[in-house]
Amino acid sequence: MTTALLKPLLSIEGLHKTYQAPNQGDSWWPMARPNYIHAIDGLNLTVEQGETLCVVGESGCGKSTLARLVMGLEKPDAGHISYQGKVISNLSQKARMGYRRRMQMVFQDPYTALNPRHTVLHALVEPLLYHQSELKRQHAIDLAMAQLLAVGIDPTLAQRFPHQLSGGQRQRVNIARALMVKPEFIVADEPLSALDVSIQAQILNLLAQLQSQQQLTYLIFSHNLAAVEHMADRVAVMYDGQVCEIASREQLFSQPKHPYTQALLAASPKIYTLPTKRHRLVGDVPNRIPLNHEQQGCSLQDRCPKAFETCRHQAPQLTQVAAKQQPQHWVACHDLNPTPKQGNNHDPEH
Amino acid sequence: MSLSPIQSQALLKVSNLHVNFASRWPQEPNVDVLRGVSFELHRGERLALVGESGAGKSLLATSIIQLFDASARIRQGQVEFEGQDLAQLNSKQLRQVRGRRIGMVFQDPMTNLNPSLTLEQQLLQVILSHRNISRSEARLVALHKLRQVHIPAPETRLRQYPHQISAGQRQRVTIAMALALEPALIIADEPTSALDVTMQAEIISLLTHLCHSNGVALLLISHDLSLVAHATDRCLIMYAGQIVEQGATKNLINDAQHPYTQGLIRALPQMSSPGQLLYQIPGQMPLAQELGHQCAFANRCEHAFKACWQQQPSMPINQDHSARCHLVNDARPEEAS
Repeated sequence: MTTALLKPLLSIEGLHKTYQAPNQGDSWWPMARPNYIHAIDGLNLTVEQGETLCVVGESGCGKSTLARLVMGLEKPDAGHISYQGKVISNLSQKARMGYRRRMQMVFQDPYTALNPRHTVLHALVEPLLYHQSELKRQHAIDLAMAQLLAVGIDPTLAQRFPHQLSGGQRQRVNIARALMVKPEFIVADEPLSALDVSIQAQILNLLAQLQSQQQLTYLIFSHNLAAVEHMADRVAVMYDGQVCEIASREQLFSQPKHPYTQALLAASPKIYTLPTKRHRLVGDVPNRIPLNHEQQGCSLQDRCPKAFETCRHQAPQLTQVAAKQQPQHWVACHDLNPTPKQGNNHDPEH
Repeated sequence: MSLSPIQSQALLKVSNLHVNFASRWPQEPNVDVLRGVSFELHRGERLALVGESGAGKSLLATSIIQLFDASARIRQGQVEFEGQDLAQLNSKQLRQVRGRRIGMVFQDPMTNLNPSLTLEQQLLQVILSHRNISRSEARLVALHKLRQVHIPAPETRLRQYPHQISAGQRQRVTIAMALALEPALIIADEPTSALDVTMQAEIISLLTHLCHSNGVALLLISHDLSLVAHATDRCLIMYAGQIVEQGATKNLINDAQHPYTQGLIRALPQMSSPGQLLYQIPGQMPLAQELGHQCAFANRCEHAFKACWQQQPSMPINQDHSARCHLVNDARPEEAS
């Protein structure tokens, strides 16, 4: 896959999204100052044309919010998202329509993503007729049948309802529906997590096959690291609404730098190698409701075994690990990017 | 308490269990969904049950304590637990076994806990309905169990509702609840599929270590072989309502004999190098009513030969590692590779 193109397909700069949280216990008064949850907290990310970028992270780190922001299902509070150089995050619904056609989404749960009262054929034809109203109905049906074949579903199943399909078939229908309008960019939010291991293999193969046939670009959100290692070109690790490490697949899985990435990799079950306890994290994802004061410093500080004084009062910035050898490897950690005062130790032992 | 898994008397002995569901129409026959399941579980042993969704894993787990749907029925077979046949008990006698002797951990901790009761109310309900102790004593038991599952500040947690704690902590509370009455067996039905990888590793190691140190037997149900690989002593592979392979987990993974088990391992993303196509088991599992007299896996098996289509393979008994497959057992064809 070629990643050497001038303009990135999608670029996200300084994105912020805040949700209002319900008041916590003690304040019964309705006029009390509301609490806010910073779901996305100053996130930067670029997706190159034709690549597969996987975003991994625990639940609660803001993965799904990011997916919805990219698709325009939510509006960001600050920052912007641009697609092929044009800012799309502040477009009106009407202006957005053209982009809706070019970027499509595959949702997490293949059952709830399909309307239970629509047949498979109905589900596929509907987006097509919506975007191309001039199309003849019979032509749309023909296209839908061809698409079903392309995702490996017997066209005789076209008149079935979602509950008559297996989990793997439902996810194939979801993928087929996303591809109906011939998009160039697919956002998939946990496309595998509701599926069995043996079905996951089928869907992974299907995604890879479709990508090579139709030159698709994927932005895939997942916490299944084994699958990510298999399919990704680049991997971004997200924690607490920010990207804490981003690198090519080979670098991330062979030389993870951030303590959180190391912990994620150690926790992923492997069939032949024994699990290690070396990089285990303690505690949960922080509850991101700042009560009157903003938390200072790195958001991993309470769970990180390597946290030191700087981590308590200064948030780390994404910096390149080694600009010459690994230009694509960026990480946000004080332990790896010591401030000049503490000496210029470029390769700390761990 | 002796922790050696090899003891003469099995804790749980399921033999030739057939379970069916009452069909919706009288003219339709009732078909067996569990078709002759037999296995043994010894005291203190950790047993994994692995299979695709629809294989009957959860039905087997709920059949042991008869927590299944009202339309399901044990047609044939015994479930011997601590010397009594659970299949013969009435509902009152069963309630003495459920919770007290056999604890259960379910998939989704949010739907498993009652959202309108505090954790204290739920934990005490479990303890007080089975043991004749005072409320304050029961509270001490509950606190002790919460500490065992590493819940920080258990006194404050007891006053909280399920939505106020994280998903990982919720699942730990359900484990504490299952352990509260010191059962001899815990059945965990996909305890981590609603959780993240980091939580998953923690919950599995907590569950297996607690069972090991308390001498409690564990039946761990999962669809992921790599998850149970290092957490269990023995493993059962289930396919279309039957056990198709059983053996010590290590042997089973290093030397899988049944083509289905081999396929399950080969389909893991970590088994092929990045960028390559993954191995996938062709086709899908047949429905219970489609099964005839052939091997249930024959239509997906790349080694299937004549005998596979003519008769169902049988499971050799009294072997450490056995598979329900013609290739492995006897009727090996001359021309087969």
